[in-house]
Amino acid sequence: MGGFRPGVEVSLEGPLRFLALTLCVTFGVFFLRLFQLQVLEGEALRVRSERNFVRSMRVDAPRGDILERDGEVLATTRPAFGVAVIPSELREPERTWTVLGTLLADDPEKLAERVGAPRGRSRYQPVHLATDLQFEELARVETHRYALPGVVTDVKARRDYIEGPLAAHVLGTLGQISEAELETRAFAGYRSGAIVGKSGVEALLESTLAGREGGRNVVVDVAGREMELLAEVRPVRGGTVVLSLDIDLQRAALAALQEPGPEAVPAGSVVALDVKTGDILAMVSHPSYDPNDFAAGIDPETWAGLRDDEWKPLQNRAVSGQYPPGSTYKPIVAAAALEDRVIGRKERVFCPGQFRLGRRVYRCWKRQGHGWVDVHDALKHSCDVFFYTVGLRLGVDRIARYAETFGLGRPTGAPLDERAGLVPTADWKKRRFGEPWVEGETVSAAIGQGFNLVTPLQLAVVYAALANGGRILEPRLVRSRFDSQGTLVEQPGEVVRSQLELSAPVLRAVQGGLEGVVMEPGGTGGRARVPGWRIAGKTGTAQVVSLKHTEGRGDDIPVRYRDHAWFAAIAPVDDPEIALVVLVEHGGGGGAVAAPIAGKVLSAWFDGRVPAERVAGAGGSRAVD
Amino acid sequence: MPLIDRRSLQHFDWVLTGLVAILVVAGLANLYSATSGPEGVVSGELRRQLMVLGVGTFAMLAVLVIDYRHLERLAPLVYVGAVGLLVLTLAIAPVIRGAQAWISYGPFRLQPSELAKIALVVALARFFHRHGAGMRSMRDLAVPALIAAVPVGLIVLQRDMGVALLTLLVATSYLPFVRISARAWGFVAAAGVASAAGLWLFVLKEYQRSRILDFIDPGRDPLSSGYQAIQSRIAVGSGGFFGKGWLDGTQSQLRFLPTQHTDFAFSVFAEEWGLFGCTLILALYLSMLLWGLWIARNSRDRFGAMLAVGLVGTLFWPAAINVAMVLGLAPVIGVPLPFFSYGGSALLAALLSVGLLLNVSMRRYMF
Repeated sequence: MGGFRPGVEVSLEGPLRFLALTLCVTFGVFFLRLFQLQVLEGEALRVRSERNFVRSMRVDAPRGDILERDGEVLATTRPAFGVAVIPSELREPERTWTVLGTLLADDPEKLAERVGAPRGRSRYQPVHLATDLQFEELARVETHRYALPGVVTDVKARRDYIEGPLAAHVLGTLGQISEAELETRAFAGYRSGAIVGKSGVEALLESTLAGREGGRNVVVDVAGREMELLAEVRPVRGGTVVLSLDIDLQRAALAALQEPGPEAVPAGSVVALDVKTGDILAMVSHPSYDPNDFAAGIDPETWAGLRDDEWKPLQNRAVSGQYPPGSTYKPIVAAAALEDRVIGRKERVFCPGQFRLGRRVYRCWKRQGHGWVDVHDALKHSCDVFFYTVGLRLGVDRIARYAETFGLGRPTGAPLDERAGLVPTADWKKRRFGEPWVEGETVSAAIGQGFNLVTPLQLAVVYAALANGGRILEPRLVRSRFDSQGTLVEQPGEVVRSQLELSAPVLRAVQGGLEGVVMEPGGTGGRARVPGWRIAGKTGTAQVVSLKHTEGRGDDIPVRYRDHAWFAAIAPVDDPEIALVVLVEHGGGGGAVAAPIAGKVLSAWFDGRVPAERVAGAGGSRAVD
Repeated sequence: MPLIDRRSLQHFDWVLTGLVAILVVAGLANLYSATSGPEGVVSGELRRQLMVLGVGTFAMLAVLVIDYRHLERLAPLVYVGAVGLLVLTLAIAPVIRGAQAWISYGPFRLQPSELAKIALVVALARFFHRHGAGMRSMRDLAVPALIAAVPVGLIVLQRDMGVALLTLLVATSYLPFVRISARAWGFVAAAGVASAAGLWLFVLKEYQRSRILDFIDPGRDPLSSGYQAIQSRIAVGSGGFFGKGWLDGTQSQLRFLPTQHTDFAFSVFAEEWGLFGCTLILALYLSMLLWGLWIARNSRDRFGAMLAVGLVGTLFWPAAINVAMVLGLAPVIGVPLPFFSYGGSALLAALLSVGLLLNVSMRRYMF
């Protein structure tokens, strides 16, 4: 070589030499350092790496408790003890299997089979033989462990839903954080694989319940036993949440719904609201599932079973089940008709058992007809012809406007995964189907059939408003939240979303009709009575398919085609406390099926209390309107 | 003019190619050991790294086609393009692990700051090619300082401190070529100290400061970054003379080392191959870098020489900082070891650097 080519100044030579020298010195230092670590200290560090591993372990934070309104614990965190084997550390496999078999009450051969004979690096991975032992079982393993090298025990925090399936849909489920969740702001600071709330209160109040993860650096020997604790950051337990639920009422509601009657109930829902505060006192969705299955990481068969079950146990019917309201809708139409004066309070309509509109004939549910009925009798007997008549006078858009002021057609604002339901209007039909509204559809809409859809919770809000003087409340699920130190963080007040513009006499007339349903002879809801208490309510029998599929077939009707049974109640009438909605999917008649369930739930609510004002027994007294 | 003539093919630099090929293969073998699970299946990381290697090799060869002298004219365009890309990153990139450094398109994810280093080298090479001989005073340093400051500043704004530091260091590779007085050097040093202090006080986040403090006193917080340093030291030291053998490092196979396939890839290697293997790899790196300087020395023109110096810098600085960190000689900074650490953009950038070096090298006899 010898020097630079033309165009390159010789002045580069010096700096390049300097750079080359820098490189050599840097790498020389690296070599010396490697020599120091690997040769001079090598033996010591090798011993450390083989005999004493420093392991950095996460310590999960115990998730905070979820309590019901009176402090009974619904969800807590308990220790789950596990036993595992590290294959590379096993010394006497045969003896180990025999002893473990006795201790865990398991077949030694099966245990041996589960561990197998892994080769390569998987020899270092612990194989779990049990993940949820009782403390006594763990203690037995512990006492033998030093004679059994390779056997290790661990303890993990496990979510414990004390009531199992009882309030599963409200409490929700836990599961592994998803990729999508990891990227959101709400889950900043979470690591992948973290267990987080996936639905219900667990998801809603994740930030309160989660707590803060801790960590431990420990020296462990080759068998994985902890030899020394080097450093520890203790986990912080999550905060406590107090729900509005009354677990006794919840239990009574589920029992009433499940009680084997003439027809077993495959699916249904019960919702109870405090009419003064909007507190959700009970929210049952049946069938249910056991959230404990999710807490341990759900196995694929159980999951597939739940997911594919035709009665959809994972769905919270109280907020995401949408059903035609049937006759439970009539009080809204009655209020609209009275308020807009399309009918007088004492004005009567003749019901011959059917209603003719053009060429079509619409039947009343009672073939023989109800004769002359006013609004009170129409509600009490649930007379369809009366509501066909006033419904046509109102027109669909006016009915819809009132239904919307009652909060229908949009979520109630409860902090759960709600559906909006549907309140049809002429405009809506034009947009949806491109066809004009016809009057026959108004007739259906007036009795809560046709396109109308509501959720049980929406209906409960409607009846709570009828009971509390017209306040549309936002259902409240959380009464208070405490942080991990037990300091009160939040105590949400009641939220009044709007005030119905119904005059007092109109409200009183509707309430009177509803009381007639339960308390007066001939009312459709007599089976909801609770001795000694004045109760108002409304039955509903919502058609699922048109009559021609079911007519005259009696018990032959396939379950899928049977009507939904509703009952909505307010109690007690003189000073309303509770609004209750019972839905039995494909249960049949509201008065026969849903009303007795409501009666049982209400008697649980009144349990042990003496009414302020005695009411005459079964006969009941006619309410003042 | 044909893009590649016979003569430059005759002078294709097989030495550099061979050195890089050995490093790449060693890096892949090590990545396999660091990422494959107990069952020995090929990990997703390894598969992605192989894919980037394919793309990078193609890019490296593509770079060879155009005579590097054209790059001298195109330098401003390359530089402005890179700065534009950095600005775009700041505008559209999501925040991932605290940094806003990646732009993604479908499954592809690019870290523009890695490529910006090379664009900066191209721009500085042009500057020192044109003005190098006449640089005498502090004022002459202002322009190259500005050229370096813009991308470095943008990368700081992305909160990618590792790459920002690297980019700054790459720029300092040119300092030996600046002939200014001792007093002026004093000013440069003072400016360096002042900006370091500013960085510490206003830019670095709490965890980044704590990493530097952990380096000074590793026992300070053994739960977090101090833990990595201790585990890395145990892994490297326990390798001894000949190592524990490929796939048999207990520290790494039992996953005591966090980020062992990225920032701590070399400690996995050191544990499994020992002093013997490490010396070999370090010798390969040193040879590659010295060869790069040799290319600079033999370059046909000053631009080629300056380009080669900067490219050597883009390979040297990450290697030096990463190895120093693994050996406990520097704080834990997220800087990848070229050809060893998992990371697509860094591998792509390293291969592009090699491609440009080959370009300068094979045209050394052309006039």
